[in-house]
Amino acid sequence: MLPIQLIVALLAGIAITALLFRGAPALAGHTVGRVVLLVGIAALPLLLSIGNISYGVHQSSTTGFCLSCHEMQRHGKSLFADNRQALAATHYQNRLVDRETVCYSCHKDYAMFGDVTAKLNGLRHVWAHYIAGVPAKIELYKPYPNSNCLHCHDDARRFVDGVAHRPIVSALYAGTTSCLSCHRIAHDMAKVDAEQFWQAH
Amino acid sequence: MADVNDKATRRIRRAAVVGGLGLLVQFVAALHWTPMTFILSAAIGAPLVLVGGGLFLRAVWKNMREKGAV
Repeated sequence: MLPIQLIVALLAGIAITALLFRGAPALAGHTVGRVVLLVGIAALPLLLSIGNISYGVHQSSTTGFCLSCHEMQRHGKSLFADNRQALAATHYQNRLVDRETVCYSCHKDYAMFGDVTAKLNGLRHVWAHYIAGVPAKIELYKPYPNSNCLHCHDDARRFVDGVAHRPIVSALYAGTTSCLSCHRIAHDMAKVDAEQFWQAH
Repeated sequence: MADVNDKATRRIRRAAVVGGLGLLVQFVAALHWTPMTFILSAAIGAPLVLVGGGLFLRAVWKNMREKGAV
């Protein structure tokens, strides 16, 4: 979908800059005119650019953004896989994470610079998509960290009271045992290939 | 004095062109919003706007110096 407000604002900014280009000789002659030039040529374009970039950064966290590259579309389909054990599917289908930002919610680190790292990795993805080529097998850059799961499940009753969790809870917190060693299926590609999907209605 | 004002106008117009070009790049990118156009918008459009702002401030500074204000 087109960012209409952004487009209108940028168009207005261009029109204002063009007007000021024309009116510069007259405006530069008096104080108010110089302030108008300062706002129109320096401050307004800068504000519009900040708005544009912040819109883009926000959009880059959305599920639609991640799935706009064709190589990620199978992963996108796995959100609908008919498998309650598959992590991506169960989180999406049960609304355990915001559907608008489902990829980002699970795949960004929640450490201090988690957002920055995720965005930089996003740049690597774009580089791979357009320039370097997509690897035959899409893999994570590093093993999936338990801290990402614990960010939400940490004090959740199902996790705390889970019989299987109790004996290994310290190992889970220490990261010496991966959550994925039991919850093995993150994206159920077999169901995707078999086109076995869950539908709400 | 007229020469000083002409110079100042020319510099301000140059800043407006560069800044406007930056906005134009961002506008075109926003018309077809993809990961690549966003990166182009942020890597080319926004820096052009910054340069435009910088040129404007430089124009003001030079104009003030030429008029003996600083």
